[in-house]
Amino acid sequence: MDLRSPASRCFHCGSPLSAATSFAVRIDGTERAVCCAGCEAAASLILAQGLGRFYEFRELPGQPVAGGLHNWAAFDREAALRRYTHECAGGERELSLEIEGLHCAACAWLIETSLRREAGVRQIHVNASTARAELRFDPHAAPLSRLLARIHALGFVPLPLSFAGEAAEATAERRAALKRLGVAGLGMMTVTTYAVSLYAGLMQGIAPDLEQFLRFVSLLVATPIVLYSAQPFFISAWRSLLARRPGMDVPVALSIGAAYLWSVVSTLRGRGAVYFDSVVMFTFFLLLGRYLEMSLRHRAGLQHDALARLLPDSSLRLNGTEAERVTPDELRAGDRVRILPGERVPADGRIECGATDVDESLLTGESAARVRRSGDELTAGTLNLTGIVEMAVTRVGQDSTLAAVSRLLERARSSRPAVADLADRVAVWFVTAVLLLAACVALYWLHADSSRAFGTVLAVLVVTCPCALSLATPAALAAATTRLARAGVLVTRGRALERLSGADRILFDKTGTLTRGEPRLDGVVILEPRLTAPQCFGLAAALESHSGHPLARAFAPLTPVTGVSDVKSVAGRGLEGVIGGTRYRIGRLEFVLDGCARIATTVTDHPEHTSVVLGDAAGPLAEFHLTDVLRSDARDTIQRLAALGLVAGIASGDRTEPVAAAARQLGSVAASANLTADGKLALVRALRAEGHRVVMVGDGVNDAPVLAAADVSVAIAGGTELAKVSADLILLGEGLSPLACAIETSRRLLRIIHQNLAWAVLYNLTAVPLAASGLIEPWMAALGMSGSSLLVVLNAMRLLERGAGRSARQPAPLAEVAHA
Amino acid sequence: MNVIYLLIPLGLGLLALSVWAYFWAVRSGQFDDLDSPGVQILLDDDRAPPPPAPDSRDA
Repeated sequence: MDLRSPASRCFHCGSPLSAATSFAVRIDGTERAVCCAGCEAAASLILAQGLGRFYEFRELPGQPVAGGLHNWAAFDREAALRRYTHECAGGERELSLEIEGLHCAACAWLIETSLRREAGVRQIHVNASTARAELRFDPHAAPLSRLLARIHALGFVPLPLSFAGEAAEATAERRAALKRLGVAGLGMMTVTTYAVSLYAGLMQGIAPDLEQFLRFVSLLVATPIVLYSAQPFFISAWRSLLARRPGMDVPVALSIGAAYLWSVVSTLRGRGAVYFDSVVMFTFFLLLGRYLEMSLRHRAGLQHDALARLLPDSSLRLNGTEAERVTPDELRAGDRVRILPGERVPADGRIECGATDVDESLLTGESAARVRRSGDELTAGTLNLTGIVEMAVTRVGQDSTLAAVSRLLERARSSRPAVADLADRVAVWFVTAVLLLAACVALYWLHADSSRAFGTVLAVLVVTCPCALSLATPAALAAATTRLARAGVLVTRGRALERLSGADRILFDKTGTLTRGEPRLDGVVILEPRLTAPQCFGLAAALESHSGHPLARAFAPLTPVTGVSDVKSVAGRGLEGVIGGTRYRIGRLEFVLDGCARIATTVTDHPEHTSVVLGDAAGPLAEFHLTDVLRSDARDTIQRLAALGLVAGIASGDRTEPVAAAARQLGSVAASANLTADGKLALVRALRAEGHRVVMVGDGVNDAPVLAAADVSVAIAGGTELAKVSADLILLGEGLSPLACAIETSRRLLRIIHQNLAWAVLYNLTAVPLAASGLIEPWMAALGMSGSSLLVVLNAMRLLERGAGRSARQPAPLAEVAHA
Repeated sequence: MNVIYLLIPLGLGLLALSVWAYFWAVRSGQFDDLDSPGVQILLDDDRAPPPPAPDSRDA
């Protein structure tokens, strides 16, 4: 019996539904199926509050609601309040939250509206572009834990940030850039008006005092633009000169500074040309390009401490006989903590009493749980599944295993060969050539006609202004990023798209990347004819609902029977409980057979899937096959990638059999199993040494160093924070298909960048000789520069075309793609 | 043409005023999130929220 019929998708999170699902919500009188109890709770809460419009306006389906145990109570303690919030007038408190799973304005609206209805919430603002919330509340009327629990109940994960973090820094940077840009824009409009009058005056004649007046006014307006708006160019040019690596900003700062000073001198002396219009126009367009690039960087907003995300919100510290909930950073070596099933381990330590199954997949990539007993080591960030254990903390903070992983990551990232970006490569040449040329022109004209020397040199500098060049790439990147965001790909480092277009190898992690990372019920064999399949499902679901084991999640979509009592969990073996007077066991075969009368050998053991057996005192009743199924679009995506010229491979830390099985299902993809983080790193390095450009797709902590070492790294939105921080692209939502779209878009992007650069170079080749020979006035140069910049921006906008979006989202005919 | 000696300073005054207004807008966070407010006007409606159901608390 096959249970894998993806009839439709979950109304809340968009995951494929299994046929046995019975969870549903009613919206506008229609029954909509959802995938699990978590999604049902979130959707019902949203609908009960009359916020059903959320579903009409959101741009991407939500995340499956994690069933994990969250205990927010520790945030109500005075110490936590002091750490995460700050006090404002009237005993109210303010804090910043990062909200995981927030992707669009509709999500932000949902959280704001829902929280505003809570008593005690004074103010809440959720920023959809940075996924952060500013919350002001009255701790006496509303404990923080209740507000966090409410956000969690809506299907998002709130992460309180320690106050005055990088959020404030990013906001400050953005606001400063906006102010500079605004001043330059307003000033440009004004100065250009005066410039038009002055040019008209040159042609038709103008009263000398009026001309002088207009020049003074231009000087007045241009001064704050040069001193305030253009400041970053001067600073960065100076720094790049100190570092002996002249960048784009050197000629920029030179032309702005020289043109401004010359114009000031001309104005004060009352003769000679003024170039205020060129100065401000130039500044404005450059600032615009910089601003676009900065917005990109901020949108990803994943800079802050990623490791903290893997630790639990709180844990139970034992103090003699008392137990107290504390946040992980309050723990010290030597403390004793009690870890309940479903909680994450807060620090490295050794088990002092108890035994449990631990999910270490975050660190090892191994999907099966490990048994840990008294005396065994536990690693911070791993998940306790079944038993209650007490642990003595041995290492915290910088000494912990997690911190070591992050140092490995840091090293991998810094050793990443500097792939010279196209525009940067061009820039160094260009800058040097322009400066040399300007010097030659200056020398020549000082000899030939010294009165025209400055105007000509300025025309050369303005006409060759790397404006089109410096705008070409950011504008195209901004357009491509917007397109990809619509298709479900978040770009965190824009320049990675250039590298993505040339990729020819793509490596996937298996667990959590190619697969969904959690087992699903794949099939069932009924061993005892007196029971029907639904009866077995009911019994199994009832027992498994008492377990936090990852295998138990596979039973969550089933409807449990009621009346379970006396449930016991045996670490590494299974569960036992009484239903309707009968004692049932579920778990490993040996556990079920242990102490039952009839020994059945009908149970088969496949390496490709995990068997869970249900039995009673008489013997086994049913065998459930659980597999970590591949994402429904994995095979399709790999074929599309192959059509685009990317050879796929699997690099997994899992055992050989499941990896080989996955590779077979995907159509004989090369696969390496049993790889540690170092092994994966070696694999990527070897491929790169052969001259391949490697894309790595992963989700776990163990993938993070590999992600940092690959040419382009892609993380899954549901993956760990550490993986996302090291990733260039993040796939939002469920599914891998946006990958192909990303490749297509990156190739179109590269074509457009090439066109833009070609245009910029062509324009300069024609204009420079004219300018050097003194035929072009600086104002003509400024006009040509602006026109050429405009052309470049318009060309970049083609990436946003609707048609392109549609064809990229749907699988195009393979032949067509291959020729594209 | 003498009127221009009055109009241009007036224009500069307006410029200063708009820069001030723009700085105020940036400082008060009007440009921090350019995506949400546009959608919020569509989402917010005047229907009163349903009375809070007792079971909707902390699901």
